[in-house]
Amino acid sequence: MATFSLYFTYGQKKAERFPYKQGGLSKEQAAIHLLSRFTYGYNSNDVRDVQKEGLEKWFFKQLRAGQGDEKLELLLEPYADVLMDNQSIVQKYPRGPRVRRMMINEGFIPKDSVDNRSKFYKAAYKKYMEEKGYRPEGELFRKFIATKVLRAAFSANQLQEVMTDFWFNHFNVSFTKPQSAPYIPSYENHVIRPYALGKFENLLLATAKSPAMLFYLDNASSTVERPKSKNKKGINENYARELMELHTLGVDGGYTQKDVSEAARIFTGWTVYPMNGYGNSNILKNMTATNNKVKNQNIVDGDFIFVANRHDKGRKVVLGQQFNNNGYNEGADLISYLSSRPQTARFICKKIAIRFVNDKPDEALVNKMADTFLKSGGDMKKVLTVMVSSPEFWDKRNMYDKVKTPFELAISTVRALDGQIENPNRLVNWVTRMGEKKYYYVAPTGFPDQSGYWINTGSLLNRMNFGLASISNKASGVDIDLLELTNHREPESAEEALEVFARLLLPSTDIAVLKSRLSPLLTAQNLRQKIEKSSGGTFYEKTDKKENLMAKGKKSNNAMLAQVVGLIIGSPEFQRR
Amino acid sequence: MYTRRAFLKSSGLGLFGIGLIGGIPAFVAEAVAREKNNPLYSKRKVIVCIFQRGAMDGLMAVSPFEDPYFREARPTLFMDAAKSGSGNNLIDLDGRFGLHPGMKAFETVFREKRLAIVHGIGSPNTTRSHFDAQDYMESGTPFRKNTTSGWLNRAVGLLGHDNVTTPFSAVSLTPSLPRSLYGDQAALAINDLKNFKIQGRGEILNQNAKTFEDLYDKTKNDLLRDTGKESFEAMKMLQRNLVKSYKPANNAVYPNSSLGNSLKQIAQLVKMDVGLEVAFTESNGWDTHFNQGKDTGIFARNVGDLSKSIMAFWTDIEAYQDDVLVMTMTEFGRTVHQNGTNGTDHGRASCNFILGNHVDGGKVHGAVDMLAKENLEDGRDLRVTTDFRAVFSEVATSHLKLKDNKMLFPDWDGKGIGVMKG
Repeated sequence: MATFSLYFTYGQKKAERFPYKQGGLSKEQAAIHLLSRFTYGYNSNDVRDVQKEGLEKWFFKQLRAGQGDEKLELLLEPYADVLMDNQSIVQKYPRGPRVRRMMINEGFIPKDSVDNRSKFYKAAYKKYMEEKGYRPEGELFRKFIATKVLRAAFSANQLQEVMTDFWFNHFNVSFTKPQSAPYIPSYENHVIRPYALGKFENLLLATAKSPAMLFYLDNASSTVERPKSKNKKGINENYARELMELHTLGVDGGYTQKDVSEAARIFTGWTVYPMNGYGNSNILKNMTATNNKVKNQNIVDGDFIFVANRHDKGRKVVLGQQFNNNGYNEGADLISYLSSRPQTARFICKKIAIRFVNDKPDEALVNKMADTFLKSGGDMKKVLTVMVSSPEFWDKRNMYDKVKTPFELAISTVRALDGQIENPNRLVNWVTRMGEKKYYYVAPTGFPDQSGYWINTGSLLNRMNFGLASISNKASGVDIDLLELTNHREPESAEEALEVFARLLLPSTDIAVLKSRLSPLLTAQNLRQKIEKSSGGTFYEKTDKKENLMAKGKKSNNAMLAQVVGLIIGSPEFQRR
Repeated sequence: MYTRRAFLKSSGLGLFGIGLIGGIPAFVAEAVAREKNNPLYSKRKVIVCIFQRGAMDGLMAVSPFEDPYFREARPTLFMDAAKSGSGNNLIDLDGRFGLHPGMKAFETVFREKRLAIVHGIGSPNTTRSHFDAQDYMESGTPFRKNTTSGWLNRAVGLLGHDNVTTPFSAVSLTPSLPRSLYGDQAALAINDLKNFKIQGRGEILNQNAKTFEDLYDKTKNDLLRDTGKESFEAMKMLQRNLVKSYKPANNAVYPNSSLGNSLKQIAQLVKMDVGLEVAFTESNGWDTHFNQGKDTGIFARNVGDLSKSIMAFWTDIEAYQDDVLVMTMTEFGRTVHQNGTNGTDHGRASCNFILGNHVDGGKVHGAVDMLAKENLEDGRDLRVTTDFRAVFSEVATSHLKLKDNKMLFPDWDGKGIGVMKG
């Protein structure tokens, strides 16, 4: 444990060096590996800077996640709505069916004219939304995804963004479930990100109480069985099951169906505080109707409410632990208990190692991390520190062993080429086309974190197409100034362009090998003319042609640079990290 | 036998490569395409699944018109089989059930006993959430959310011929991969076959494709190299066979709709003999809470598009009908009683359609009670009398000739209902 105190008092004492030499890496390679694991992308300038700063210093700065982010904040300004609380979001971005109800209730349209495909209805709908200052829900989703792109590309606190992505996927919720969808922006911004580098238990509890999760896994509607009640509502086990199988213990975590059922009873009454006509407003009615003793046991915490009279007050036993009539605390205690299980520590640490080390991480490394998880009460900073301080992390074989997800590929392109994102949603379209529909993964498992999932026949051609498209603002929504990247020293030939950009984008790649592989292209007859002739094609700015005529030479060179860079982005080497 | 690597190698040698085909005039190549193109894959069985998202009102699609309770439950939506007043009447199937007039296109295949209907089909899980019900139906595990794979992906795995793989074994004509095809087996989501290639224009296009092919061929990473090879083989296979302006056979006319367009592309894949076995696509707009209409209106348009698209497909692939089967599915049915806005709300059982030469067609399978209140689920919905897994399992096992279907629906060990012959 002594090493931790060293790391965490960094600044006063000298931190220990990361053991990359033991893994067979040079300092430059170690810097590349570090950047490839804890950021969304880099180029050779970043590799140089990290070496200069010191790998350890850079890492702990990322771990503290306290760097100023003025540039990002400026970029996020047009999307300020995304940061609103849930109450304001559902007010401004009402769902279609709710708008319909309001229109009928307010006499805006007659009850019998609600064919929602008719022109009349659509016009009335639009007018009503405008008058009320409401915006369509889809707009919120698009804005939110845009902020995801901007944060990943431009946040100075890269590790925090990477961990936010990791935890969102671990505690997956999905836009495909309409009840859960409006709460997802706040879920990521107010539930996941603030806890992404904190203690696991706090994060788990925050997700358990979030509207996005409560709706996504149906706990919001789970109540004590009331045999006499007319509506057959009762216990819903979905959340309790996924809590154990996916969020904590793992499928082999040694729990039984009985444990799931008992846990589901513990979480009865955990639901969403009704807001602006969303959620079950009967909850509040029933609450005031019940006597004071029950009422006092209700707990309201932001969007979360524990409704005592929906809670199963019987005795429950989960994993041998007894939970006796203790209201909200039963659930909080169970979450605390699950968070401290060795199975949970192993399950979470293995997943982290898969994310940051390789697809099949070393058992010894996972055990080391799990030990730290248990000793530190699930402190993510300590778990990550142990990981990166282990020789296993730096094993040469891990370098470039992970395949970039489509999102990582897109963002790493922007970061490597110092691009400006003018239209984030255009970039998102490419990510979708390459097989990753961000925030729309249906199942609570989240996207699989295995290379084989991402690289398949359907997606690979699109990765190459993305490479060719990436350097065109029109196609990718990203503005990239290739000439700027060469310090305005225009490469004189395709070969020279390849050298310059391969150094920038693939810092440790053997350029001679790449050159020989590309030689048929580089030596092709009339290459420049071919490129120029084609540059009016799909992926190049329409204006290029016109400007070509006006400023011959300069722009055509640009098209050649774009060609070369496109091939590098689409190359197998750039698909890996 | 062929192994996966053998497939790649032989194709590299020119069996499928541009070297051979490129030397033959296009019209000759097309003429021999049917028999000679990819002998490895010809005569594979193909199952085409269409998911009707939004929950189809099975009672309006196939109405128990003799049931007085039903007539009473739907004052403004009920249609009769006998001529009555203006508008089209139901097509009487068996004296008890009537097919919606919008699905007239289905009548012939039903009379020919090639189209079967299963009524009262649904999930044992009583959720009335679109999301959950679709999720359960597609994963095939109605009480488990965390199943990572979809049932159609598992079906591909159970085909048991991974010694001859093709990238086109499982294809979804949708923008992203549906839950039904999540899983270990490679599955493609393609929105438009024309775009399955290295894009761009001009002379540099071929140069780019060639450059990428070389780069992937020489990379050290096995996954990227092998998948790269497969991708370029698949691209060539597809682009070589893809006819620029496709003309459906037998003057089949597809509706100009999303479903029609998808099925037209599935027909092309079938005819290309690229090894297609599981195809998936979807049809939207079935959530008819408001003014669903009778013989005209939303519902009529939807069933018209569904039946005309399927029949255009069926006509188009006539030469392959022995090997192809089409099955529809929807997450649940709708309330027996119409609601206050001339529509229907989320219910339980619905019906589905299965079309194929080996289907026990011309019948309405399953059990539908009289719709008296005491016979309804929760006093309001058509009761689920046939578990969807009984039908999906029987159809897939029989048509795809699966030897072991235990893992198709891991929590299900019931029997089929005899919707397939023999």
